[in-house]
Amino acid sequence: MKRSFMALALALLVFSVGCQKKEEVIRIGVAGPMTGDQAKMGTDFKNGVALAVEEWNAKGGLLGKKVTLLVADDQHDPKQAVSIANKLVNDGVVGVIGHFNSSCSIPASDVYNRAGIPMITPGSTNPQLTEKGYRSVFRVCGRDDQQGKVGAEFVTEKLKLKKVAVIHDKTTYGQGLADEFKKFIANKVEVVYYGGIIQGDKDFKTALTSIKEKKPELIYFGGIYPEAGLLVKQARELGISVPFMSGDGSIDPKFIEIAGASAAEGTYLTFSPDARKIPSARSFIENYEKKFGEIGPYSVYAYDAANILLAAIKDAGTTEGKTVIDKLHTMEFPGALGKIKFNEKGDVTVSPYVVWITKGGKFEEYWRPVF
Amino acid sequence: MFFQQLINGLTVGGVYALIALGYTMVYGILELINFAHGEIYMLGAYLGIIFFAFFTAAGLTAYSLPLSLVLTLVLSVTFCSAYGFTMERIAYRPLRNAPRLSPLISAIGVSIFLQNYVMLTQGATDKVFPHLFGDAGLTLSGARITYLQIFIIVLSCLLMLSLHLYVTRTKMGKAMRAVAQDKVMASLVGINIDSVISVTFIIGSGLAAVAGIMVAMYYGLVNYSIGYIAGIKAFTAAVLGGIGSIPGAMFGGIFLGLVESVGGSYLSSEYKDAYAFAVLIVILLIKPSGIFGKTTEEKV
Repeated sequence: MKRSFMALALALLVFSVGCQKKEEVIRIGVAGPMTGDQAKMGTDFKNGVALAVEEWNAKGGLLGKKVTLLVADDQHDPKQAVSIANKLVNDGVVGVIGHFNSSCSIPASDVYNRAGIPMITPGSTNPQLTEKGYRSVFRVCGRDDQQGKVGAEFVTEKLKLKKVAVIHDKTTYGQGLADEFKKFIANKVEVVYYGGIIQGDKDFKTALTSIKEKKPELIYFGGIYPEAGLLVKQARELGISVPFMSGDGSIDPKFIEIAGASAAEGTYLTFSPDARKIPSARSFIENYEKKFGEIGPYSVYAYDAANILLAAIKDAGTTEGKTVIDKLHTMEFPGALGKIKFNEKGDVTVSPYVVWITKGGKFEEYWRPVF
Repeated sequence: MFFQQLINGLTVGGVYALIALGYTMVYGILELINFAHGEIYMLGAYLGIIFFAFFTAAGLTAYSLPLSLVLTLVLSVTFCSAYGFTMERIAYRPLRNAPRLSPLISAIGVSIFLQNYVMLTQGATDKVFPHLFGDAGLTLSGARITYLQIFIIVLSCLLMLSLHLYVTRTKMGKAMRAVAQDKVMASLVGINIDSVISVTFIIGSGLAAVAGIMVAMYYGLVNYSIGYIAGIKAFTAAVLGGIGSIPGAMFGGIFLGLVESVGGSYLSSEYKDAYAFAVLIVILLIKPSGIFGKTTEEKV
């Protein structure tokens, strides 16, 4: 018994020595929902960032060192997000690409800010994230107040509707987006129903039956694609034929798969312009699809976020957090999506939202507001 | 609208009832709360998707949809029953004479094992069951009922009826009731307790498998964690009706489904889950043994 303890202690000693000899690398983290019902989004993040890292390493690395990627899974759970944020910081990352859900990004940003390392989210659109005054927080996507406004303009200017129902999933992102939408349609459109559903629930017929009674001309949903898909499917089963509208969290092929192509037909979604139509994104899309299959809605954002972080480190000539953050605030970066420049808050200066439509089992760009 | 909520509630309630039966039967006989029962339901949903995909790939679905659905159902039920049987053999039987907490912990262990087993072998992402019937259905005085809902309601009623007949009219059913009343006495009059318990697990798991497939078809979305919440709801239903009582589980399940949908429509659907548990608390305060539960006398 005693001997085996000694052997164990010895083994641990050897192990800890092995750990101390760290290789000279630059670590960056990518965080998002890598498992669970939103795993698709997390995987898109991971693949986009992995491609960027690989390209930098192929060009000889960064500051003479190799870049390695640490993948962290927040399971779209805020508690988990904080715990993996701490883990990434302890593992010595010099910057983080993530998270996806605003409800995860906001608490995790506290951790990164305290550690003084930059965080760039490719997909969290809730305004609060960059309104907290942290200099270390950036996002390459737009904000829900911009997104909700475009959605509202579309409903009032293009569709010219009078009655809508608004549902949200009670998360920071979902409810935030639904509230922004509601704020911008106020006085022009009557909101006949406003209520929440539970994220992860499968049965929404109760809420939908109440909505059917109110006879809205459109149903707006603030939330993510699993619930969006089920809502649309169950609405059609109840004989509700009015169109649905949702935000960037629902624009994923899985949405159509869950709802069924015929039920999803004609659903409007606010999202950024089609990456396939942007010339600078062409080579990225080609490389990505060769490696990982079809691009997801956020793959290109993750790719740009990783590239801008690595470029800032290169320009700063150091991985020291404060210098890199200062660099990120001042630099202008030619990303795959176009020029990226951050304002004082860490939001991108240009973030046009457009309206997409679901047609024949595919998403296509449908309407652009007058910028 | 009330009628529509009634249909919504009945569909979900039928599913709850089928799962609740497994809880209540096992409790009635072993006084064990089988926490892994929700996982059997989840396995049923997964097996349904797997077998159906297999039949589709083999071309049987294109040849005859009803045939491949029936085969899917039969195969998944068989597999799940086998899971239930094995679970009892491995995790519960060796602990039959252990203190009551031990099999409970063992049940939680089985539940965690099965969840992770499915997550690792099938992946953590959602699986989608193909849309077979679309939104086809009937409209009755403003309320819509899809053919799938009719199928779910009818099939759960049929299964509950046949279970009731099985327990009340057959020799095995009689043996089950005897074991539930007093295990020692039952064994003295020549009833093979082990086989009665095995049959209980096989039937309970089979019913859960049917519930799983129906849910996979109804919502079209399945993941490894659906067993947890469904298990909790069905357990609530079983307690509501009086745990150990078969009619109680049937009633409890349907009642729970109705409370959720009617409460959700007249109050707010945001707190759908809360109504179910609020009703449970009220009923337990008034009648601690559940609606159909008998106050058990001390066994002498």
